[in-house]
Amino acid sequence: MEEWKPNPPVKPHKKRSWYLAWKYKLMNQRALRKLCQTGAVLFLLVTVIVNIKLILDTRRAAYEEEEESAQDYDDEMLNVEVPRHPVNNKKVLDVEVYSSRSKVYVAVDGTTVLEDEAREQGRGIHVIVLNQATGHVMAKRVFDTYSPHEDEAMVLFLNMVARGRILIFTIKDEGSFHLKETAKNVLKSLGSQVAPFLSWRDMWTFVGKKGGEVYGEKHAKSPALSTWGDPVLLKTEVHLTSVEDAECHWPDTELNRRRKRFCSKVEGYGSVCSCKDPTPIEFNPDPLKDNKVFDVPVAVIAGNRPNYLYRMLRSLLSAQGVNPQMITVFIDGYYEEPMDVVELFGLSGIQHTPISIKNARVSQHYKASLTATFNLFPDAKFAVVLEEDLDISVDFFSFLSQSIHLLEEDESLYCISAWNDQGYEHTAEDPSLLYRVETMPGLGWVLRKSLYKDELEPKWPTPEKLWDWDMWMRMPEQRKGRECIIPDISRSYHFGIVGLNMNGYFHEAYFKKHKFNTVPNVQLKNVESLRKDNYETEIHRLLGEAEVLDHSKNPCEDSFVPDTEGRVYVMFIRMEQEADFTTWTQLAKCLHIWDLDVRGNHKGLWRLFRKKNHFLVVGVPSSPYSFKKPSSVTPIYMEPPAKEEGAVAVPAVAAAEQT
Amino acid sequence: MQKINRNVVLALLSLTSLVFLLFQLCYYKFYLSQKNGAAFSKARGSQSGQDSTRWHVVRKFLGLISSHNIPVYLIDPLILGLVDKDIEQIRSSPDGPSPECKYFCAPREFTTFALLDKTWKHDVGLFRTAEKMGFQWLKIINKDPRLDGMDDLSGMEIPLHYIFKLASHAIHLVVFYERSGNFLWHGPLRLKQHMDRKFVPFRKLHFGRYPGAYEKPELLLVSIDDLKVQIPKNPSSFLEEMSHSRFLECRYREARAFFQLYPDDASLDAVEFRKKAKSLLHLAALTLNNLGVKFWLSSGTCLGWYRQCNVIPHSKDVDLGIFIRDYKADIIPAFQKAGLPLKHKFGKVEDSLELSFQGEDDVKLDIFFFYEEDDHIWNGGTQAKSGKKFKYLFPKFTLCWTEFVELKVHVPCETVQYVEANYGPEWKVPVKTWDWKSSPFNVQDNGVWPIDEWDNVIQIY
Repeated sequence: MEEWKPNPPVKPHKKRSWYLAWKYKLMNQRALRKLCQTGAVLFLLVTVIVNIKLILDTRRAAYEEEEESAQDYDDEMLNVEVPRHPVNNKKVLDVEVYSSRSKVYVAVDGTTVLEDEAREQGRGIHVIVLNQATGHVMAKRVFDTYSPHEDEAMVLFLNMVARGRILIFTIKDEGSFHLKETAKNVLKSLGSQVAPFLSWRDMWTFVGKKGGEVYGEKHAKSPALSTWGDPVLLKTEVHLTSVEDAECHWPDTELNRRRKRFCSKVEGYGSVCSCKDPTPIEFNPDPLKDNKVFDVPVAVIAGNRPNYLYRMLRSLLSAQGVNPQMITVFIDGYYEEPMDVVELFGLSGIQHTPISIKNARVSQHYKASLTATFNLFPDAKFAVVLEEDLDISVDFFSFLSQSIHLLEEDESLYCISAWNDQGYEHTAEDPSLLYRVETMPGLGWVLRKSLYKDELEPKWPTPEKLWDWDMWMRMPEQRKGRECIIPDISRSYHFGIVGLNMNGYFHEAYFKKHKFNTVPNVQLKNVESLRKDNYETEIHRLLGEAEVLDHSKNPCEDSFVPDTEGRVYVMFIRMEQEADFTTWTQLAKCLHIWDLDVRGNHKGLWRLFRKKNHFLVVGVPSSPYSFKKPSSVTPIYMEPPAKEEGAVAVPAVAAAEQT
Repeated sequence: MQKINRNVVLALLSLTSLVFLLFQLCYYKFYLSQKNGAAFSKARGSQSGQDSTRWHVVRKFLGLISSHNIPVYLIDPLILGLVDKDIEQIRSSPDGPSPECKYFCAPREFTTFALLDKTWKHDVGLFRTAEKMGFQWLKIINKDPRLDGMDDLSGMEIPLHYIFKLASHAIHLVVFYERSGNFLWHGPLRLKQHMDRKFVPFRKLHFGRYPGAYEKPELLLVSIDDLKVQIPKNPSSFLEEMSHSRFLECRYREARAFFQLYPDDASLDAVEFRKKAKSLLHLAALTLNNLGVKFWLSSGTCLGWYRQCNVIPHSKDVDLGIFIRDYKADIIPAFQKAGLPLKHKFGKVEDSLELSFQGEDDVKLDIFFFYEEDDHIWNGGTQAKSGKKFKYLFPKFTLCWTEFVELKVHVPCETVQYVEANYGPEWKVPVKTWDWKSSPFNVQDNGVWPIDEWDNVIQIY
């Protein structure tokens, strides 16, 4: 810096004439003044030079820096992120709602948010919830109020919607047949004039704010039983409120920030979005002492059933010993709402572009999820696999922590599952009891990495094979005679009613009455006896102790088992060879347990509880345990009823698919 | 009048420019100081040439990190270099107060730390506290490479780098992830469009130009310059590792495109072969790593990695390359001990050495030794029955890490040149009939072994 000090850096000999003039002027009277002037001019000059230098310097430095950071460090992707929704300052929404026999649609500001003209589908009342501040769709539901009980579901849903939200209703085909008084009253309380008088095949549209004004309603009466009302089209305007009015004022914490994001996007999750008393989204269950599964990754396989996923994750995060960091939710498809649920709980989620269709799609989703799980947690030796429609028992991880070493050490094991196919309310009793079974129950299970990486992954069914992954895993080529460990009382509960292979009837018949453990910290009994050889000793001990039941009685009758408690009984059924399950299937049917295919067997032996007694069923002569049968006893044979051949054909078909 | 006016104007101008100049000098000085760093008072580091700013920033950062229970460790190559010189002393007195600020006071723009992803919960509170302490921070996120190989999975983007800036010093926090193959990986540092390119001079960072692969380090808690900090237990081997840590991701997208054109062989034979090839490769890697012999995927195995991210099912063997300078006589006994008997040995250490070991069920492990010349690298081949020699030429290459069948292995960084040299420009098209003497693009006749050497250079078992 010193060199820029404002000294006149003039070298006199260079410009001689100028030097002479200067010398002359110096002698002059005005010399001093001139000197000052020249000094000032020079000074100005220097300033300019310094100025320019500074500008150049900073420019160059800045340029260099830009160059530096630009090279190598630029992301290859050059697409600039465009804001997804242009900021809409409009305060009014145009809403169009159409109701007719074969088609419904709802358009908000010209964007179709609902359109359903599929045949044989979407009958009933369609409900759409809009955010009153942004106009975004927060929930879309259809309630088939032509069928019973759907109106109750609708009432439940409408009650959960926060005050102030905008509700849009439209009927497709028929929506009044099972629309009961309660439901009509709820609609009336929302401001509908027509709802109380809705009748057979009427067309109806309604737009209103929950707990507030009505924006419009249109109705077309059906003139006769055999015809539908004319299509109605409602066009109306909705005034938006400010964002502040649409939000709750929770204390500003990280959790509430997540909650706020969630609640401004979706509706229908009840008290999680309640302004006054929101339900917690962090559970902090007690940690487990000596938790052996703390570092085991948990893969949650999900589709587009966000309400199920919400319920599932709540129960999972409440289970003792859970480690949220190890949980990954795999969503089959680019659905937003399941992802919102995942983010609400602060978990990580991965979306999967659907490959193939139906069962094969599920199967491909499973494969991708399992591979990803082991990629993300390369150290893991196991993975827990869960589905979105399961409740998880409070001692789920405790159960696994006590048994996982078996899967590590016993080569003859295929999996540990939380689910007992035969564990119904009336057939399961002992939360501390475990079994070995030859079938793979799934529904909350542990997979060994080596099994997956070395055996399953390389030959997983390809997308064009429309196989169920679980059926495939149960095939002898995969299972290779290995067994799974299951608890007597299931540690998971299957609550899903809607699903690929699931409907209300099926659920009611086979899943609803399943027993589910709710006792925390159950100490499992004699885990070591589950090892391959130990288990045989254990079975022999049990059979030795068991009392043979009276085989002249009807095994379906309650009186077949004496009115005792805590005893061990055994019965013998006819089972000609390993795959002969004729009698077992009939017995399972009359005991109201799983009879669609054979589950829960171990070498021709089934273990369950009846009237709080341990109840063993041995298939004679196929089972190696047949020798326990006293010679006087004739194994029971039950013939499949001729009428129900169709029903019996189900396992046959399943078996055929397997081979 | 006019003259007075002129004088007054001139004087005024001079005065303004003087003020202006002073202002600019100040600005210039400030600008320089910002570049070099001297905003903190020199409370520590009495010696000249020391910069206490850095020490203070590091101390603040370590405080921040420990208040959130986040275990970080120092990987700054310049500091580790200094530490390595005094490592014995530091190890022996882990708690001793240091008389002078030796490591953290050299004026630098950055100090680099590492963080193992799985050891922390992605706690947003950290950043809020950081802001309260005066840090500015920048997060660099990108796609998760562990999901990249998967068909159409899109996870959340993962944080790869953090930069915490305070005054004139910045902390570069590199996030390491565990990958299949039991190693640690850090991502490249790539700025997105909207990011502040001048947040720090990114180019001077020691990590981030390329992704890197590292062994899991053993850590040591030490106290240097009165700061408690974890460092790799063996700094010199860490620095050595760092110098060639560059990692190449498999080209998953291209591999998917390849399988679109040529669907994968899913037959039972292919599955079986892949399984065997994988376990053979794992065994070979274990054996060579134990010997400390550097090797890379060569020929068909390299092509399989580059083209389809998998073993080529019809390739029938596993091929590795080793520089002849890394040759050790122990290689053959080590493989034999591992259960892989020598099948044949062609050539000699001085010329065209090639070893072949018999794996399980006909799967062969071929090891080619590479000879470096001024402008190319070559390996040799020998035909057993005729004693003919062949030479395969490759352009010069360096080695990079990659992940292949759950293994961390080397491949040539200049993979496409390597593959193209070997298989020609049509390497993207699978060829099932392959003759090692004529099919390779880069094969040359190299004369015949003298008959009297045959016993030595052609050994078949």
